[in-house]
Amino acid sequence: MAAQKNHRNEAQASRVCVGVVTGAHGVKGMLRVRSFTENPVDLAAYGPVSYEEGGRVLDLVVEGSVKDALLVRAAGVEDRDAALALKGTLLYVPRAALPETEEDEYYHGDLIGLAAEAMDGHSLGIVRGVHNFGAGDILEIGAESGATVMVPFTQAAVPEVDLEGGRVTVDLTAGGLAEEGADLSTGNGKHG
Amino acid sequence: MSRSVWKGPFVDGYLLKKAEAARASGRNEVIKIWSRRSTVLPQFVGLTFGVYNGRKFLPVLVTEEMIGHKFGEFSPTRTFHGHSGDKRAKRV
Repeated sequence: MAAQKNHRNEAQASRVCVGVVTGAHGVKGMLRVRSFTENPVDLAAYGPVSYEEGGRVLDLVVEGSVKDALLVRAAGVEDRDAALALKGTLLYVPRAALPETEEDEYYHGDLIGLAAEAMDGHSLGIVRGVHNFGAGDILEIGAESGATVMVPFTQAAVPEVDLEGGRVTVDLTAGGLAEEGADLSTGNGKHG
Repeated sequence: MSRSVWKGPFVDGYLLKKAEAARASGRNEVIKIWSRRSTVLPQFVGLTFGVYNGRKFLPVLVTEEMIGHKFGEFSPTRTFHGHSGDKRAKRV
């Protein structure tokens, strides 16, 4: 099982991407940042953010918002040139900075990359994504590339989530996969 | 303009039969449907449908708030893959 956990890289597990700098605003060093957090203004709620390379750390203060971005002031970024130099930079917070979840509640980042197994132990691939289109959370499961299937994230369809062991167990019947002919772990599933 | 009241909500007939069969069997399974145009009815609450979006079946767990909407609304045909950030999923 330990080998399966290695689908997730360590950097992904230890930090979470919360936004990207999309440009500068004005001449006083204000940044335009697209937030990836559930509530956009929570961008600065988890403490200082680190750069993509993990080097510099920025203290952010959200000053306002425009159409699709937050206006953010960062300590040490004093002029437009310095702000533009950060354009395209991904901003990370440590995974440990996120608050504890409730029972049966998981961060998407924790679920993505887990190995997916059927009840009988055979591999279905990995969790490639977590979605919610307004009718409950859904796990997207498949090989690292190729076909994927969608499984409802319910107690019946996903009876076991083992973050320590790096795997989720899927009930094929309750997950709607009982008719799947191909082994998803090979990427040759019926559905594209 | 809304649909005339005397007509009632539109639902494909096969879908009603499938839902009835699933409820009668008592098994917790995904009911695969292609009818994106059908209205979500009160008798569907608690069932999970797999609504086809042209490529795959997306699970739709029907809740009371969804009554009156169409199944297709919960199975988008174009998917945007965003960053996970601090988003959470609740296992119900």
